[in-house]
Amino acid sequence: MRRRRFLTGALGAAAAATTAGAASGCGNLHSSDPDVLTFMFRGSTEERDVFARAVDVFIRRTGIQVNLISTSVDQYATKLQTAILGNSTPDLFYLEPTRTMAYVTNGVLADLSQYVDETDLPVDDIWQAGLDLYRFDGESIGTGPLYAMPKDVGPFSFGYNKTLFEEMDVEPPDPDEPLSWDEFLDRCKALTGDRDGDGTTDSWGNSVNITAELHSYVWSNGADWVDEDARTVTVDTPEFAEALQYVVDLREKHKVTPSINESEGLDGYQRWLRGQIGFFPVAPWDLTLYRTLDFDFDLCPYPTGRTGTSATNVGSLGIGVSANSRRPDRAAELAMFLSCDPEAQEIIVGQGQTIPNTRTRAKEWVKDTSIEPQNKQEYVDIVEDYGHFVPTSRTYTPEWLDTFFTNIQPVLEGRQDVGEYLKATQPVMQGFLDQGYDQLRIDQEANS
Amino acid sequence: MSATTPVGPAANTPPPAALVRSGRRHARVSAGTRASGASRPPGRGRLTRPERIWGRIFIAPPVLGFALFALAPLLFSCYAAFTHWNGLSSPVFSGLTNFRTMAGDPQFWQSLWNTLFLMIGIPIGLAISLALAIALNRRMPGRAAFRVIYYLPGVSSVAAISILWQWALNGDFGLVNELLRMVGIDGPNWLAEKTWVKPALILMGVWKGLGFSTLLYLAALQSVPRNLLEAAMLDGAGAWRRFRHVTLPMLSPVTFFLVVTGIIGGAQMFAEINIMTPTGGPEFGSATIVWYIWQQGFQNLKLGYATAMSLVLGALIFLVTAFQFYLNSRNVFTVE
Repeated sequence: MRRRRFLTGALGAAAAATTAGAASGCGNLHSSDPDVLTFMFRGSTEERDVFARAVDVFIRRTGIQVNLISTSVDQYATKLQTAILGNSTPDLFYLEPTRTMAYVTNGVLADLSQYVDETDLPVDDIWQAGLDLYRFDGESIGTGPLYAMPKDVGPFSFGYNKTLFEEMDVEPPDPDEPLSWDEFLDRCKALTGDRDGDGTTDSWGNSVNITAELHSYVWSNGADWVDEDARTVTVDTPEFAEALQYVVDLREKHKVTPSINESEGLDGYQRWLRGQIGFFPVAPWDLTLYRTLDFDFDLCPYPTGRTGTSATNVGSLGIGVSANSRRPDRAAELAMFLSCDPEAQEIIVGQGQTIPNTRTRAKEWVKDTSIEPQNKQEYVDIVEDYGHFVPTSRTYTPEWLDTFFTNIQPVLEGRQDVGEYLKATQPVMQGFLDQGYDQLRIDQEANS
Repeated sequence: MSATTPVGPAANTPPPAALVRSGRRHARVSAGTRASGASRPPGRGRLTRPERIWGRIFIAPPVLGFALFALAPLLFSCYAAFTHWNGLSSPVFSGLTNFRTMAGDPQFWQSLWNTLFLMIGIPIGLAISLALAIALNRRMPGRAAFRVIYYLPGVSSVAAISILWQWALNGDFGLVNELLRMVGIDGPNWLAEKTWVKPALILMGVWKGLGFSTLLYLAALQSVPRNLLEAAMLDGAGAWRRFRHVTLPMLSPVTFFLVVTGIIGGAQMFAEINIMTPTGGPEFGSATIVWYIWQQGFQNLKLGYATAMSLVLGALIFLVTAFQFYLNSRNVFTVE
């Protein structure tokens, strides 16, 4: 079986590389020395330096050697999959939550539960949401054995440009009480205008990145993408339609976000960086850059729809251990160390690209007024209270959700009716979701 | 062109009518070559044993390389196309399922159509590069500089070119729309509109391939026998007729080469799409077949399905290329 799998893997890797033109080689992803761990991750040069420093502490403390392999964000997924195909999976690697179900079902990930039970590290102090994203019982995400440690949790918070609010003489949002959609629209209208008097709009209330932010409007209006067990697509409800219509109207009817042409010229993110946008998402990974901006900003809850409760998503990146690792115990130790060891967390959080992974450390961090933004409690509230998992992290493949955004342009431009679009798209999305579960069933049978 | 052309008084020079379009395959071996071939008939027996061994050693690396990196994956692909394979565990045989899925997959057909549509750029590019080659074939100041400038995109990184064009095609501040604005045209938002995303990519493709095609045409233009052009002129042919009936036929091998490689390259277009329209463009308007294969194989864990699509694409390319060779064999121009 092992030999067959090796041959399949070797030929498969070559075929895949030939098929897709994936010419990026694997390099030495699997160390020949069982005492040397390989850790493959992605990120910028700064992130690599941060992790190298944290791993150095681990090496010093345990004497275990670790080879770091970093790739660019774009190349990471393809390179990791090619490594898995070629049976040279690194001992540890970054895991996107959307891959958890597939990797567990196909025997790529090691079960970390026993190592978590045995460790002295403060794993219990890690955010529950961060751990639940990597639990899978064979049917659903959120329960069952633990297959990865969260490298971080990413509460996708909302924020606002304090300086622009002052300049336009608009009342800032309350840090605790979310605005209703109507109140939010009023604020956006007041923030949209021509500040330098040259006849063109140069400030807007908001700028919606539809793929990242629509979730918030949908959830806070009492709708969802899928039902509770993630088997049925539920985008064809009146609540969902109302949420999408609200987002479309922000631009097409109320003109409080840059138009499509204006966004194409300089997207919302760039305009936010230039201080032209009032409300904008402020995720932890952007904090390092945002702290260098010319204006002050802070966090606030997302505006609320019918439910009166704010909603947004909690992303994450995990650190998984290969099921084929020759030292899964040591690899699990490193994963847990990076995820919750106080000294490692000090190094990682110190750069401001992530919020602390542990509750105890987060409590101190939130109170530290020397760290911008001031309302960091919003991040904690999202992780502990009102954050949702990204929909695709609960399904086998992401294709069903991609379909929704592939054909949405006419709706965003007001050329197609929202209700009509949702009604036509639901069966297509359902088809892809069903295909994903068929794929899960076939993979489970093949790997049983 | 391998045929020997008579050189002598203009009266004896064969007229352009001697350019013969033939349906037969022509022997491309010159008399000299034939003679030398006859005096040294090839044969196994003429090589000594060590020579044969060394010969095999020398051809072993490319043969092994081909077997390992082309033939083995191809054979494996032929099997994988008939399996359910997610790229994480062993393939499971699934018969014709992938091909049935493909037949009913609207995105497969759309990406195939997109790929075909983008090939409109091939004849456009050929026409422009031929015109450029004719212009650059004249004696004019700065000729070498122009040649280098036109060839530069050909040696630049695809990623860099794609990012450059992403900016050039920007709806508000892009160079393309700025130029259009100068002549009173309000340009579209090229990469964000379904109608315009493909023409935008064609525009970029033409620009990128211009240098290479021009260079080949330039070389071919310079090897058009002058005596044929002179003979045509003496027969009273004007500039257009000389071009139409002498130059253009003599360029046909280069045109054939450029069309074949253009279609093969066009069918494999990926990097530009992935960089300029990473989600396949507005309403899947710019997703090419190779981009879709990559998305299915690596994003959606459907390597079996992706492999099946690759085989179909490979077969299509083969058929189109074979058809081109057939057409070319009926349109060979030689000088007799």
